Amino acid sequence: MQQHSENFLDNASEALGNKSQAEFRDLMALFTPLVRDAAVQGFEGFDQLRSHVKRIRQHSLDNLDHYLDTYEQHALENGNQVHFARTGDEMNSIVLDICQQHQATRIAKGKSMVTEETGLNDFLQRADLEVKETDLGEYIIQQAGETPSHIVGPALHKTAGEVRELFLDKHELGERDLSEPADLVSEARSVLRRHFLEAQVGIIGANALIAENGYSMLVTNEGNGDLCANLPPVLIICTSVERILPRAEDATAMLRLLVRSATGQPQTCYTSFYSGPRREGDLDGPVETHIVLLDNRRTDILASDYREMLQCIRCGACLNHCPIYTSVGGHAYGWVYQGPMGSILTPLLTSLEQSAALPNACTSCGRCEEVCPSLIPLPELLRDLRHQEMEQKLTPSRWRFGLKMHAWLARHPRLYQFFTGLGIPLLHLVGRRRGSFRRLPMASGWTSQRDFPSPQGKTFMQQYKAGRKAQ
Amino acid sequence: MTGSARSEIFARIRHASRGAGAEQIVGELRSLGRAPAAALPCDDLYTAFLVNVLNNQGTVDCAADRSGAVAAVGKYLYEHYRTHRLVAGNDQRLAAMPWRDAGVLPRFGALEPGETVAMSYARLGVAELGAVVTFTGRANPAANNLLAENHIVLVDGAELVPDLEAAWATINMLTAEEGRPRGINFIAGPSSTADIEGKLVQGAHGPRQWHVILLAEAGEEIVEKAREIATPG
Ligand code: SF4
Repeated sequence: MQQHSENFLDNASEALGNKSQAEFRDLMALFTPLVRDAAVQGFEGFDQLRSHVKRIRQHSLDNLDHYLDTYEQHALENGNQVHFARTGDEMNSIVLDICQQHQATRIAKGKSMVTEETGLNDFLQRADLEVKETDLGEYIIQQAGETPSHIVGPALHKTAGEVRELFLDKHELGERDLSEPADLVSEARSVLRRHFLEAQVGIIGANALIAENGYSMLVTNEGNGDLCANLPPVLIICTSVERILPRAEDATAMLRLLVRSATGQPQTCYTSFYSGPRREGDLDGPVETHIVLLDNRRTDILASDYREMLQCIRCGACLNHCPIYTSVGGHAYGWVYQGPMGSILTPLLTSLEQSAALPNACTSCGRCEEVCPSLIPLPELLRDLRHQEMEQKLTPSRWRFGLKMHAWLARHPRLYQFFTGLGIPLLHLVGRRRGSFRRLPMASGWTSQRDFPSPQGKTFMQQYKAGRKAQ
Repeated sequence: MTGSARSEIFARIRHASRGAGAEQIVGELRSLGRAPAAALPCDDLYTAFLVNVLNNQGTVDCAADRSGAVAAVGKYLYEHYRTHRLVAGNDQRLAAMPWRDAGVLPRFGALEPGETVAMSYARLGVAELGAVVTFTGRANPAANNLLAENHIVLVDGAELVPDLEAAWATINMLTAEEGRPRGINFIAGPSSTADIEGKLVQGAHGPRQWHVILLAEAGEEIVEKAREIATPG
């Protein structure tokens, strides 16, 4: 997918200007944390579970060479062809080659963030393949020519009315009643059912790969991923190297966290484990199966201080709880991953230069870390990225100068107190009547979005000293 | 391309891994212990399973034995579809059921276009999830789970397990005996989606209805109790 994270600030301003969309996001920001909280409270040992899965994931990453090797052996034993791709382009080419070997023209695709990352759909479509997303949310945005606004609910930014207009426009089915969401779901079901039955290749992602038996885990509510995995004669699973877990029970322990954090459900409808092609005597299932394992800088992350980010299970909880994400929406982030996890992954998987605004899209409120089922210290990683920006001089020179000045002053307490002792009373005098400032010199970025409260006469240190004396 | 990609990726991972031996890794993993499971909604395993099936928007029934199960299926088919037909995989346990006694006409094989109801015999049921588990294969073609409008699943009370860890212990034993099936499917509800405005709609791409019949003595009582406890959203 084309990246345009460098436009984050413009995208965000535009998003904030669209009132009805902003109101809808406010509503979702109230609703999604509620369902997640209820589900988490319904699971007594949630914190214990988080720590357990964290230890397992850490162990898996620490020994990834061992587990990847074991996984590959079992996957081959199960009859798969296993491919490795260093980059997104390599993954796309591998998939296209397989499709062309089978003279495939129709592809049924399940939800896969990895293939969003590599831009697989566009790549296959350029080679004249008809690729249809089959997850309802993904299908909607594909038809609308848009990109996902949320890693779990890619079309949640669209109202039922907009989806209705879209279907009336795209499906030539004449007059019909599409007044309820159920009508829309039903229509998508029948349109896509035909595609499922005709597709020659199914492409899906994986929520986990299991080293001990070579199975991959697929979690869905709709069953679309399972149709992709079972109906077409060729199946391609596109996923990435860090998805590997030692045992099946580790994958389902993680599932307990995933379902509650993502949709607030105690359980999703379909949790499926696929090992390979059709067995002797089977009446259905693919006859050929491929697993394509993507790196795309994940091994760099593994070797870096950002390693914990590889424990992300793509649940979307940090998005739903982020004040920035819920204000500006997912499209502002300009790539596949949004919110706090996106603000870390995007710079790491693409480049910090291209996405320098993202680590700054953070109020350090800490809600993301609180809810993250993988216990990833997201605010800390964001801060480290900001630090890196400073070091690489990606931060605007004005900011850097200001920060340097501040750091210098902070190291010289007497001077600091002297200057603040001058500034604070001055601000108090000027602003006392109104109680706040609409505009301040050298802080227009801050005051463009909110008022600055006028300080009350004395600095903290002055008040502190006075207080001590009085005691 | 993929050969050199493989060795390059492996080299990079090896560089970032700690290079522990297999034995040490196995030992360490074992020492990490077991994950906590979700608490069951009540003490009785059978009831807990049915409560969670109901919470997952499934419908439930019970039967004390095979004749009872056939009668329950016959009644369900007639009430919902005014039919006696269904499709089932070549499962010996299903083939041995006294279908004729209840006038049900099963066709054994994979679901064909135009057929609406499929029936499976679960390999096990998981109370923690309110899920049934099926294996793909001759005994249960994938199409039967996925393409039917209505999926009826029979599960033996004796084959219920409390949680996911127990489920894998059973599955690992079964696959060690029978070989690994192509697919292991945990099914916990009719297919659904909340992709439009977050509103839950049943019948996304898979079955619109999911009906679970528990084979157990004193089933009636269990079903009644489960209905009292369940809180389907
Ligand atoms: S960072 Fe944590 S909360 Fe965010 S998507 Fe990943 S696992 Fe979920």
